[in-house]
Amino acid sequence: MSSTSRARLGEEVWKTRTDKINAELVTLTYGSVVAQLCKDLDGDYAEVNKQLDKMGYNIGLRLIEDFLAKSNMQQKCANFRDTADVISKVGFKMFLNITPTIANWSSDSKQFSLMFDENPLADFVELPDDGKAQAELWYSNMLCGVIRGALEMVQMQVDAHFVNDVLRGHDTTEMRISLVRYIDDEMPADDE
Amino acid sequence: MVVFSFFIFDRHCECIYLRQWLDATTPSPAQPLSRPVTASSAATNTTSAVEKPPAGNKLSMAEQAKLVFGVIFSLRNMVKKLCGPDDSFLCYRTGQYKLHYYETITSLRFVMLTDIRTENLKSSLHQIYVNLYVEYVVKNPLSPVEHPGGEGVNNEMFELGIDSFVRTIP
Repeated sequence: MSSTSRARLGEEVWKTRTDKINAELVTLTYGSVVAQLCKDLDGDYAEVNKQLDKMGYNIGLRLIEDFLAKSNMQQKCANFRDTADVISKVGFKMFLNITPTIANWSSDSKQFSLMFDENPLADFVELPDDGKAQAELWYSNMLCGVIRGALEMVQMQVDAHFVNDVLRGHDTTEMRISLVRYIDDEMPADDE
Repeated sequence: MVVFSFFIFDRHCECIYLRQWLDATTPSPAQPLSRPVTASSAATNTTSAVEKPPAGNKLSMAEQAKLVFGVIFSLRNMVKKLCGPDDSFLCYRTGQYKLHYYETITSLRFVMLTDIRTENLKSSLHQIYVNLYVEYVVKNPLSPVEHPGGEGVNNEMFELGIDSFVRTIP
C-alpha cells in the first residue's frame, strides 16, 4: 500500500466509520484526568507521566483491535517505515483527525519522530506555574502509552516518549519512537 | 450448512473461547476414533480423515481445542515456511468436516469446523472478529484484555451474536 493510498484510507475511515464526539469533551476529559493525577500524586510529575503512559498502554492494547477492524488491514507492515506511515496517516487520522508529520529518521530506520502540528488533547492548556511542571510534566504522555500498547499487540516492542512540547515553550511537539525489537510468535506450552 | 464448533485462540496460544453446536435436525455421524491422535501426528496428516470427527466423540472440548490448535499452529507455520510470511492457509477438509481458519495481525486465531459442503468462511470469520469480538469483547471496558481460560469472553451479547450469526451463514 502506498503512502497516498494510506492517506486516503485514513480519510475514508475518519469520514465513514468513526463515531464522532465533541472535541472539547475529549480535551476537557483528558485535562481532568491529568489534573486529578497531578493532585493525587502531589505534583510528582515523573509519576504522573508514568501513570499516563500506563493508562495509554492499556488503551492501546484494545485500541489496536478497533483500529484493525475499522481499517480492514490484513497484512503486516513490511518494515518500520511503513509502520510509521500507518500510525500517522491512518491511526492518528482515524481516532483524532490529525496527521502528525514523520521526521528525523535515524540512519538504521529504527527511530523516528512524530511532529504534532496540532494536538487536540492540549487545546486550552497551560501548564501550572509551579516551576516544576514546565520542566517535568509531559502533558500528552498518554499518547506514548497508546502507541506502545498498540504496537506490542502487533509484535513490535517500541519505546515512545516526548522530547519536545509546545506547552513547555518548545517550538514543536515531538514524540520519539524507537523500535526495540520484533516480538516472536509465542509457542504453545509443551504439556506432553 | 452445519457448523460443528468454533474456537478462538489468543496470541498466547490459549483457547479463549470455544463453542459447540449440537444440531438436532442434522445429527453428524458419531464415529469412534480410529486411533488416538496426538497434536503432532494430526498436523502431519491433515489431508487424511484420521483426525477426530467433529462431533459426537468422547474427546472433551478442552482436548479438542488443544488438538485443533496443534493442527492450525503447525499448518500455519508450514505454509509460511513454504510460501513466505504473507501467505496463510484458509481451510482444509477431511472426509467428514472442513476446518476454516482466520488470523488477525494481533495473532488472534478464529477457527470454525463445519460440514464439507460449506464454502470458504474466511470473510465470515473476519466479520465475527469485526462485528462481534471487537464490539462486544474488546470494547467492553470491564472485560479483561487477556482471557486465560476463556473467562473474559463469557459475554452474553457475544454469545447471542455468534449464535445468530452462525444461523445466517449460507
